Amino acid sequence: MNALIQEKAPSESSEGPAKAAPAPGKSVGTPIDRVDGRLKITGKARYAAEFRPKGLVHCVAVQSTIAKGTITSIDWAAARSAPGVLAILTHENTPKLKTLKGGDPSSGHAGEDLPALSGAEIHFAGQYVALVVAEKLEQARRAAALVRVSYREEKPVLQIAEAEPSATYPKQNLGRELQHKRGDAAAALQAPGAVVHQATYTTPVETHNPMELSATIAEWQGKKLTVWDATQAVIGSKGSLAKAFGISKEDVHVICPYVGGGFGCKGSQWPHTFAAAMAASAVKRPVSLVVSRSQMFTSVGHRPPTIQKIALAADRSGKLTAIRHESTSPTSPVTDYIEPCGKNSSAMLYACENADIPQRLVRVNVAAPTFMRAPGETPGCYAIESAMDELAVALEMDPIELRLQNYADVNPSDGKPWSSKRLMECYTMGTERFGWKDRNPKPGSMREGDLLVGWGMATAVYPGYRWPASAVIRWTPDGRARVRAATQDLGTGAYTVFTQVSADALGLPADRILFELGDSEFPEAPVSGGSNSSASVSEAIIQAAVEIKKKLAEIAAKGPGSALSGLAPEQLVFSDGRLVAASDPSRGVAVTDLIRQSGEEAVEATASVKLEDEKTRKFSIHSFGAHFCEVKIDPLLPRVQATRWVSVMNIGRVLNPKTSRSQVLGGVTMGIGMALMEHTVYDERTGRPVTENLADYLVPVNADIGSIEVHFVGEPDPVINTLGCRGVGEIGITGAAAAVANAVYHATGKRIRDLPITPDKLL
Amino acid sequence: MNLFTYSHAKDAATATAAVTRDAHAAFFGGGTTLVDLMQLEVMNPKSLVDVTSLPLSRIENGPHGGLRVGALVRNSELASDERIRRRYPVLSEAILSGASPQIRNMATTAGNLLQRTRCPYFRDLFSACNKREPGSGCAAQAGFTRVHAVLGTSEKCIATFPGDMPVALMALDAAVRTQKSTGNVRSIPLADFYVGYGEDPARETVLEHGELITAVDLPPTGWMARSSYVKVRDRASYEFALASAAVALDISGGTVREARVALGGIATKPWRSLEAEKALAGARAGEPAWRAAADAALADAKPQKDNAFKIELARRVLVRALTTAASREIA
Repeated sequence: MNALIQEKAPSESSEGPAKAAPAPGKSVGTPIDRVDGRLKITGKARYAAEFRPKGLVHCVAVQSTIAKGTITSIDWAAARSAPGVLAILTHENTPKLKTLKGGDPSSGHAGEDLPALSGAEIHFAGQYVALVVAEKLEQARRAAALVRVSYREEKPVLQIAEAEPSATYPKQNLGRELQHKRGDAAAALQAPGAVVHQATYTTPVETHNPMELSATIAEWQGKKLTVWDATQAVIGSKGSLAKAFGISKEDVHVICPYVGGGFGCKGSQWPHTFAAAMAASAVKRPVSLVVSRSQMFTSVGHRPPTIQKIALAADRSGKLTAIRHESTSPTSPVTDYIEPCGKNSSAMLYACENADIPQRLVRVNVAAPTFMRAPGETPGCYAIESAMDELAVALEMDPIELRLQNYADVNPSDGKPWSSKRLMECYTMGTERFGWKDRNPKPGSMREGDLLVGWGMATAVYPGYRWPASAVIRWTPDGRARVRAATQDLGTGAYTVFTQVSADALGLPADRILFELGDSEFPEAPVSGGSNSSASVSEAIIQAAVEIKKKLAEIAAKGPGSALSGLAPEQLVFSDGRLVAASDPSRGVAVTDLIRQSGEEAVEATASVKLEDEKTRKFSIHSFGAHFCEVKIDPLLPRVQATRWVSVMNIGRVLNPKTSRSQVLGGVTMGIGMALMEHTVYDERTGRPVTENLADYLVPVNADIGSIEVHFVGEPDPVINTLGCRGVGEIGITGAAAAVANAVYHATGKRIRDLPITPDKLL
Repeated sequence: MNLFTYSHAKDAATATAAVTRDAHAAFFGGGTTLVDLMQLEVMNPKSLVDVTSLPLSRIENGPHGGLRVGALVRNSELASDERIRRRYPVLSEAILSGASPQIRNMATTAGNLLQRTRCPYFRDLFSACNKREPGSGCAAQAGFTRVHAVLGTSEKCIATFPGDMPVALMALDAAVRTQKSTGNVRSIPLADFYVGYGEDPARETVLEHGELITAVDLPPTGWMARSSYVKVRDRASYEFALASAAVALDISGGTVREARVALGGIATKPWRSLEAEKALAGARAGEPAWRAAADAALADAKPQKDNAFKIELARRVLVRALTTAASREIA
């Protein structure tokens, strides 16, 4: 049409031209391209909703428009007679599913305790009240609009303030202690001479908006259920479906080769997944249920709002004497989800003898909240890292100096040594790369032309989780190995890094590895959540490689006159397709020869890796990092533009610098969005989301993001696993919003303690 | 989405006849608003008459030295046209500050004039809305009103007109050319094109059913090269205005001879401010005059619960637009 269509010429990737393929056994740590990249850009990667089992029909959910009350009647006559309609399911005509309360994310965890269509009672706006199944999606949507639901309405509790009487201090969250207290923070805050900073920080509801909508296709064959599910947990999905329908786990098969982003909203199982299977059972055909963009705001979770009251006390030198961080977050009648803000931030970030970190929970008639990228750590770090910046101002100290003054050499919440911290290096390198020494600390003092310039920094932190996982390797006589685990790739690069790990574990070039995931019939692996997958699944692959080496050594030992005779498996290594003596690599045999010698089609080995509690429980395992942010603000028209960013992270061994960097870029981008625009608004009367589409719920666009530099420091974590790698999915967002808010203060002298920092708050 | 029939008109006579004879028919151009609202069942035409094959895609020299922009000229083409950029920079800037490249490639000049509001209660079938369902009430008044209007509101409706291009056209004093099924052609000054929200918020323009916009005429006025569009929104791109201003200034010897001022993002229609124009006429060009104009423009503004900030923001936006326009040299 014209020149405007192409606004920007494609630029070269920041990694530079493609590098030569890494040598066999040396793939980990190199920035190889995504192994699934070509499939994705050519549209050949098939996502859950794109599968087409024969006879597929479509289901659309009808949602409650009130937040509390009881359904008195559902008039679906007009909908039933609409073109193409096959069935309409309501709580009145559908067999009840088993309750879904309880369960953990790895074996199955429902986002809502009550299954879809379990009764007439309404607990929140957006609750599924009917399902319409039709031949075509358009027909199902049309008919869904014709369903008329009548209610006996009750006054809902929608605001945290109204829910205050129901506030509790839950003891535990997901099996871990939730409340934390050490020393006497109250006394230290009163101590004479203490420099005290107290403030309340609030964050709004934020809603995951991955590009791929949540979706499930379900098909029954007798008692066996197959689902194609957009999920962060194929094993979790299998477990929850088996539980809900009262069938054996062996009878449920979950398939999910690709995920178009999850951020936590696909970590649990939500009503659409069960509804698809209910509908498929009712019409005896495969049924697809794709959650619409607006339904993503009520039916797959969100990050609940938080109110965080912080009080810090320090002596004149900046040594912290008290940290108090009280968080309140609301949950829904249909879940016990908690957003634990202080536990993995204020409780453990800084050396301080007196800390009081209570977490409060209230209940409102709003849809269920859930895990969203660094749940708890993200709002928690925003609050404590803003408060530290304010304390630094009160002390007239550089904010990095204040953090160094309170650097924690051991985890102050439990006294354990860190497995690998290296936060000092993050601060140092970030300071240098960003040019922090040129910062004039006086707010409003730095300018570029008419624009105010602000520089802010914040600490990033996220636990290094590793959970039980398993994998199977099948090595064939053509010299290729297929490796499988029931893990997931959310678009993060899991296919790629596990291909690299497999290649190195087997001494093969990466192009000899076929890594497969996203199928519940593969060896069990955990939910892709808590940034655990790299740490968990890599270990399973490495142990499976040890197992297959044992098998190959046995075969070698049986062979007449083997070059390896007399050597135990531990004395052997894989090298470029051969099994060789570690002490003398010239002594060895080709693995393909051993496989042929075995007389089998392939040699296969599986490993299941449990947690090494004995070793790990002595340490505190966390990733750390530091963000440095520059903002520019037009003082007359004060929209904040984040123009420059430096993040330095210690994530242990970096499996792939390119995919790891992308993860941090995404985390920082999401953090900038959190700081400046993300905000889900519910109508105060009805509880229905008002900003329920991507034009009204803003996430950053390209123009919002300036340059982002990402650096990794540190060494392989000596505790977490063989490779020493921790996950990198979440740490990038932690602290990011605080870095922006601190930069905004530096630019303007205005401290915004209520996110997002929109132009109206800076007028 | 409801079922609808679709036909493709080859000329204006066929198109206007087809829509005029069917009360539930609608013209279909770029579809960027209509298809979205049909998906939501907010708009439910039973028949769509596609007019994109009509020969209305050119920008031609107009009658008295102005430019005539065909109704089907896409936003991206209009914004990049050299004559527009040179003679009416405010128009190019306004278009480029709206939507995304993909949407601008689809959106037409006529369709852009007829954009519907983004009021969330208009888009939600379960909320009362006098615009969507006359007489049902206005759920927005006591709802979330951050994005709503502070000018031109009534007890029946506070919905903001969301567009950018029409705000610039308002400042340019453009005229809308239309054709009816009778063959009658009329030219409607843009100032008369939009209807205020007195009695019936569902009625947004003076267009009659079946009346087709064929072109937008830009005036010959030379001094409109000294014009500018300034917009503030919650993110850097691809977002509707919290407040915007389109201005054109005729300055001679440091004195404003004539000015055009229109505001966006804060009113129920593209908002021409005659008060600001009056304040500027004859004033010495400079910040005191810009501020006085901004005060005049917002004097009657009435905030909603969540959007009092828009009044101050709009003042500042107008000051910036006037400053920018005044600094422009004209050949």
